[in-house]
Amino acid sequence: MSLRACLLLAVLVCRLSPVCAGTEDAFARGLEFSRAGQFPEAAAAFEKSATAQPAAGTLVNLGLAEWQRGHAGAAILAWEQARWIDPFEPRAEANLRFARQLAQVDTPQLKWFEAVSAWLPPNAWVWLAGTTLWLAVGLMVLPGILRRPKAGWQPWLAALAFGIFLFSLTANLGVLSRTQTGFVLRKNAPLRLTPTRDGEVISSVAAGEPARRLRTRGNYVFIRTLGSAGWLEQSDFGPLCPR
Amino acid sequence: MNMGNAQHSTFHVQSPGCGLRAVGWLLLLTPLWLPAQTPPQLPPGGLMQLQMMQPAVDVSSPVTATAQFDPPVVHVGETTFYRVSLDATESSVQWPDELSTPAELKFGPKRSGQITQMQPGKFRPLASFVYAVESPVEGRFTITNFSVEVMGARVQIPAASLNVVAKSASAPAARRLALEISATNLFLGQPFHARVILPASSGNQVEALREIEFSGDGLMTDKTALQQFIEPVNLQGQLRNAFVAEMKVTPIAAGPLKFSAQGFSAGREFMAPISMRGQVSLAGGLSQYTLLVSDPVEILVRPLPVDGELPGFTGAIGKFFRDQPRLSTNRLHVGEPLQLRLGFHGEGDLARFVPPTAPRSRDWQVIADPPPATSFTLIPLTDETQATPAIPFSYFDPGSAKYVDLTIPPQPVTVVGEGLPVELPVLKEEEKSAAPVKLSTLAPTPGKTVRSLTPLQLRGWFAAVELAPVIGFFALWQWDRRRRYLEAHPEIVRRAQARRALRREKQQLQQAAAAGDAPAFVQHAARAMSIAVAPHFPANPRALVSGDVLAHLTDAGQAGPAAVTVKQIFAAADAQYAVTPQTQPDLLTLRPGVEAVLQALEEKL
Repeated sequence: MSLRACLLLAVLVCRLSPVCAGTEDAFARGLEFSRAGQFPEAAAAFEKSATAQPAAGTLVNLGLAEWQRGHAGAAILAWEQARWIDPFEPRAEANLRFARQLAQVDTPQLKWFEAVSAWLPPNAWVWLAGTTLWLAVGLMVLPGILRRPKAGWQPWLAALAFGIFLFSLTANLGVLSRTQTGFVLRKNAPLRLTPTRDGEVISSVAAGEPARRLRTRGNYVFIRTLGSAGWLEQSDFGPLCPR
Repeated sequence: MNMGNAQHSTFHVQSPGCGLRAVGWLLLLTPLWLPAQTPPQLPPGGLMQLQMMQPAVDVSSPVTATAQFDPPVVHVGETTFYRVSLDATESSVQWPDELSTPAELKFGPKRSGQITQMQPGKFRPLASFVYAVESPVEGRFTITNFSVEVMGARVQIPAASLNVVAKSASAPAARRLALEISATNLFLGQPFHARVILPASSGNQVEALREIEFSGDGLMTDKTALQQFIEPVNLQGQLRNAFVAEMKVTPIAAGPLKFSAQGFSAGREFMAPISMRGQVSLAGGLSQYTLLVSDPVEILVRPLPVDGELPGFTGAIGKFFRDQPRLSTNRLHVGEPLQLRLGFHGEGDLARFVPPTAPRSRDWQVIADPPPATSFTLIPLTDETQATPAIPFSYFDPGSAKYVDLTIPPQPVTVVGEGLPVELPVLKEEEKSAAPVKLSTLAPTPGKTVRSLTPLQLRGWFAAVELAPVIGFFALWQWDRRRRYLEAHPEIVRRAQARRALRREKQQLQQAAAAGDAPAFVQHAARAMSIAVAPHFPANPRALVSGDVLAHLTDAGQAGPAAVTVKQIFAAADAQYAVTPQTQPDLLTLRPGVEAVLQALEEKL
């Protein structure tokens, strides 16, 4: 390894290590608080850790702490975010089913391409799309440019790669669409007719109810749940993918 | 025995069927024989008299009227009062807008009032109409009798005469009220104290004052805060006993306000608790009700400044202070009410003090306790809150003409949330669902991590990364295209190669010339010339001779010094391979000619 590469690696390690150390500290403190039954403090520690570096396990624990505090909406959001990072996270999946049965809230109603996008982590789909596209293009173009004879398997592989690319396009669309989903955080949060503080209350929604954000105006978001639609205060809505 | 009982029982079962039906018909027909009930015959107002034990108000007796100047003799230029009194309510008297008065007399605006006289065994209303009158000339003036309409009947107002005498003659001063106010420069809504003073009459007899009113618009009087005194008062430099009624008045209109006080002297009829100081003699006998008025006073009322108004201003004007807020508890559960007690005191009008309004908070339900209480009931809606909401409040200080912030700051509290169950009760086998019956355990490690929950699709840098393969493929395509072009045009490659080789040879030639190495100079010059013309054939430069080079010079060049230079260079280069060394002239002197030839050849390349 050259001297320059060693220096670059050292700089990267120096830059990242405080963040990692801080995250691990917060995670460890969260575990200690949770075991001691101090759930507000545990939730704060896990939230700090998840903010610094989102991790599936951290979000699972954050959801457990929020649930123990009585915050069903925040708990369901945390577990959904854990599944967003890692769709194969078993704890998040089990906790979501438990919480939804107890809180009597719906599961998000996903369109078919959104359901497909939940098979893999969101970033995996985009890498898959990029890789398969350029693989197909490369297999078709490079032999000609490089004046190499085309093997018989190359067109087949190119076709397969292009097919996977087309399929992953729909999944990527699903990922983008799912970024607009979220969950109601506050218990019996009022849905208003207008995005104003004194707007008429149409109905109230339960904590943890899934909703789709359609537009934003000031301090309010217009959401659509399975049964109703209206303006909700932004602080009462937890988006799956905060920006 | 049993049989007998059975028959008896059977009889009773059958007989109520007819009997009860007959009784029912009788009951239905009973109202037809009953006489109608008549209400008890009571005299009008009798019920009230029975309940209140009060004498009746006499409004049916004939109305009598009196008219007089008070005093009837007055100095020139001094004020007297023309007073008309009728035994009727003020509203029943159709008082004329204009009176027929002597032209010499100057009448002020009309003042009127009403009082209920206490007469033996009855009450009688008394209405009075008063005019302040001045005369600039001496003389005797009379207002002739005239009639007014009272409850549809004409009532004669008797004539009244006034003697206006010179200032040297003796004449009593008119009896009037004095009005003292605590401030004359005020802000809208700023209360002030007004003292209505009735000086003792001749003989130091003090009378009560009733039905006190202020004339003029834009004032609001708080009669609930009326205080009455009998005390010595300094009036025009003389200390005299007087009846003093003190009350709080609030201006409710901006601008200059002119007003005066009026009231009925009422003997010993003190209608409220009174405090006395000094030796006082009270008037005896029946009360003589006389409507008295004061001279007007003027105040200037400024509107409250709009600039600098602070949140939570409820109209409190004065100087107020707030006690430290007190909480009923500082640890509570979500949904549990909490009492926040506030205490206000100060110099302003606390009777009309409007407490702070309940703020709206996302985390708290705030309910203001009904006035005059200044406390709040707060209910936490979430356990995330760590303090009560701030309750904005401010007052206007007329002294500094500024709004003062008196906001109730947030008070720290601990709100405990109610946890949710972590385990479902065990159900029967057939009711079991697919959902787990309890929450999972804690994750021991953070697990899979990402840099951000925002997917790569929404990050700007990722789009730039996606452009890299595009750029790579484009570059490959361009390279392939160029390669194919050069394959179709090999002379371009040869010329380019010749130019590169020529540049190298020229550098070496110059180095040889600089070093004075004539053989090397000749070799490089000959090779450079061959390289420069080789692409034109095309041929290998080593296979070319001076004739080939000369063929590519211009016609002028072929006959000029350039041709000589080329021949000399090639001859010298060939001579180096001769068996016997030959004498060579100084070949380095050919350098300018060589460079000129190479320049000409390079231009054609």
